Amino acid sequence: MPKHKPSEAGEARRRRKSRARATVSTRKRPQGSLRAGLAVLGGRAAGALSRRLHLGGGTTIAGVIAQGLYPDIVGHLAKQLQHGSVLVTGTNGKTTTSGFIAAILSNAGLRVWRNREGSNLMRGLAGALIIRAHPNGKLKRGGQAISIFEVDEAVVPQVVQVAPPRVAIFNNLFRDQLDRYGEVDTVASRWQEAIRSLPESSTLVLNADDPAIAYLGESFSGRKLYFGIDDPSLDLPAQGVDAERHQTIDTRTCPHCGGEYAYEMRFYSHMGHYACPHCGYKRPEPDVRAMKVSHEGFDQLRISVTATEPLGELVVPLPGIYNVYNALASITAARALDVPWEPIVKGIEQFKPAFGRGELIQAGERTIRLLLAKNPTGFNEVLRTLFSGENKRHAMIVLNDNIADGKDISWIWDVDFERVTGHLLSLTVAGTRAFDLALRLKYAGVDPQQMSIVPSTNMRAVKSLAGNVHTKAQAIHAMSNGTGKLSRATTSTKEESSPANQAFGIPSALDVALSQTPEGETLFIIPTYTGLLEVRRELERRGLTPHYWEEKGP
Amino acid sequence: MKDASRSPFVLRLGHLYPDQLNLYGDRGNILTLQRRCRMRGIELRVIGLGIGDALAPDEYDMLFIGGGQDKEQAPVAQDLYEIKGIGLWAAIEDDMPVLAVCGGYQLLAHYYRPANGPDMRGLGVFDAWTIHKGARVPRCIGDIAISWNGSTLVGFENHGGRTYLGTAKPLGRVLKGHGNNSEDHTEGAVYRNAFGTYLHGSLLPKNPHFADHLIELALRRSYGLTEEEIRSEDFAARFVPVPSEQVAMTAEHAFPEPVRSLSGIKELGRTREEASILPRLDDTLEWQAHAAMLERLGLHAEAVAALRHL
Repeated sequence: MPKHKPSEAGEARRRRKSRARATVSTRKRPQGSLRAGLAVLGGRAAGALSRRLHLGGGTTIAGVIAQGLYPDIVGHLAKQLQHGSVLVTGTNGKTTTSGFIAAILSNAGLRVWRNREGSNLMRGLAGALIIRAHPNGKLKRGGQAISIFEVDEAVVPQVVQVAPPRVAIFNNLFRDQLDRYGEVDTVASRWQEAIRSLPESSTLVLNADDPAIAYLGESFSGRKLYFGIDDPSLDLPAQGVDAERHQTIDTRTCPHCGGEYAYEMRFYSHMGHYACPHCGYKRPEPDVRAMKVSHEGFDQLRISVTATEPLGELVVPLPGIYNVYNALASITAARALDVPWEPIVKGIEQFKPAFGRGELIQAGERTIRLLLAKNPTGFNEVLRTLFSGENKRHAMIVLNDNIADGKDISWIWDVDFERVTGHLLSLTVAGTRAFDLALRLKYAGVDPQQMSIVPSTNMRAVKSLAGNVHTKAQAIHAMSNGTGKLSRATTSTKEESSPANQAFGIPSALDVALSQTPEGETLFIIPTYTGLLEVRRELERRGLTPHYWEEKGP
Repeated sequence: MKDASRSPFVLRLGHLYPDQLNLYGDRGNILTLQRRCRMRGIELRVIGLGIGDALAPDEYDMLFIGGGQDKEQAPVAQDLYEIKGIGLWAAIEDDMPVLAVCGGYQLLAHYYRPANGPDMRGLGVFDAWTIHKGARVPRCIGDIAISWNGSTLVGFENHGGRTYLGTAKPLGRVLKGHGNNSEDHTEGAVYRNAFGTYLHGSLLPKNPHFADHLIELALRRSYGLTEEEIRSEDFAARFVPVPSEQVAMTAEHAFPEPVRSLSGIKELGRTREEASILPRLDDTLEWQAHAAMLERLGLHAEAVAALRHL
């Protein structure tokens, strides 16, 4: 997940420059080292300054400066990695999958470096590498490490070119930020190109259950390993999921003949056991499969894993089927690197949820659980995990439309918010698009009067109408309450209107949500990406979480 | 025309290509029409029309067509032209309300000319055409507000093609955003009761007046409502909300009083949709969301006007 999503155009420009200069620098090695050294120093100085001034973690700015000084800095340093690199991409689950792999590989005794402090664009990779490099342009510890690169979907072709990975994991492909990435098909064809340029010695790790991902295997002649779920009890119809219920499906037709896939089992969205009835193209047989998936409380899942032979059971310390795929992806990658079963189990079971991916935060007598949701499928799976069976929850949802979230929020109409009705103890709706989200929830059947709406700012228009909006709004409510009393008789004052109408910003939203959560209970916060950053910042301000760039890497 | 007796109103919505053209939250438009009908006791039946299905104009009261991925648009274009074209033309010439968003809008114009490759033929309902000027010309992406019918419409647009109007009337004038082509300040197109637009996001939830406009057009047309009938004492009694599972659970407070005379509605001091024959709903959230978007686009006067709907 990108920590900062800057302008694509700027990044692209730098990439072009970087390619142009890369060819020059390979011929003049010493100059390359010199420039690399300069880039390392410059970048790290900028990072230190940024941290000093409390502008942030400083890894991204370090990467930007380093790339400016030496555009091929990533290629230059990545070549020195003795154990190569693992590339992780996909619409959802990049951070969690990278985390699993890091935990597994450290348990296997390797030194693991990640770009988790920075962004998952080129500059983030640059930042992560230069903080591990000497001023002479050489990696520390002689590069005796394996690097895990969590890479934004759009940047995969560039990363593959400058730093060909030993293992490349493609986890899933869903619609996400159509305004930024373009359509699902566009992303898929960019990935195909990237895979064609992979060296034969690389191993491709692919999700067999995602037809768009499995199909990528056809573009590669080297070693391919597939993973998938083989548990019929997870089939949506078998779970009694109403067939009428909306599911966002982003890949529905066969790439060979255009026929519509038929599913023998479907787990969510387009994930499952599919086949094209027209030409016979079907899900490849997975090399690593989860045979049985069962719940261990709300938090955890127990899975039994089989390769050519049964490997054993392990507990995934996170909820949601999507995390089974993240675990399977990391297990398959570990097997591609010849890691034995024991460190795999240890790594996954000891894994601590990353930034906003199900982490628990203690806020006095209450618990807060952060669950990032940034696109329809991610959102649907979070909602499915939270609001199933008889569970009733206190929830706060944050919808922002900043560039990193995607400016277009129409996707909320593709999310199955209908699921939450009847499962809510309290609900706070916040963010820059709080009203849109509240409206979506109203159409899903949530009573607007039961929502606390806390937008990010007050509207100027509301101020210029000077309170008579509240009066009129209340008037309508009163009128439609069926009391029969005509609205104009209602002489409601500002004080009478609900406090939710007067609170603004994430800190207020947190206060409202926490005040509605009794002691001893859990508040589930479901934010989009920048919403997560805001919530996190506010929790830090209240002394509730550590600064994420200070976490010690494995 | 149906028998205008005391029976509750029923409307049939044909949703064209729900599996192929569903990219930008089009479901929100259907949900909105469904809910706004149900709250007034109008039964809205939604019928999906896929590739290969014929379109018999007398089986529907209104039609919706959304936008999709380029790959999925080609087979749809062919089906629309070859299978549904005649029925759709007949429906539109007979004043059936039709809403076409994004890709659907483009398919109802003369043609879509991609940056490379052959033209994609459209139905030519709107005298308009769309040209994609290649990858170097940036897409029209972002929040958008247009003027419409003395009011505003808000949404999000994301299109690579530029649409140019011939004799077709635009749906509205661009207040902020790109619109048809980023050049002439027009947005969308109108022909009889067919509306083409680039606005999604979804369009109808945040623009309840436009949703009601479509519903009213359908009611008036399918039931041949006369002005005397509408003005008659017992007309309002025909809008009896039928509490059905989903709405009933939560929205009891939001049900309009079924028998509210038109004069009662006027007392609220409404300006624009006074003429609406539909009972009023509580649209507080709808107009707040609408106004919030106008504000974000810097349209303060319009935002104030939108909040006056409350």
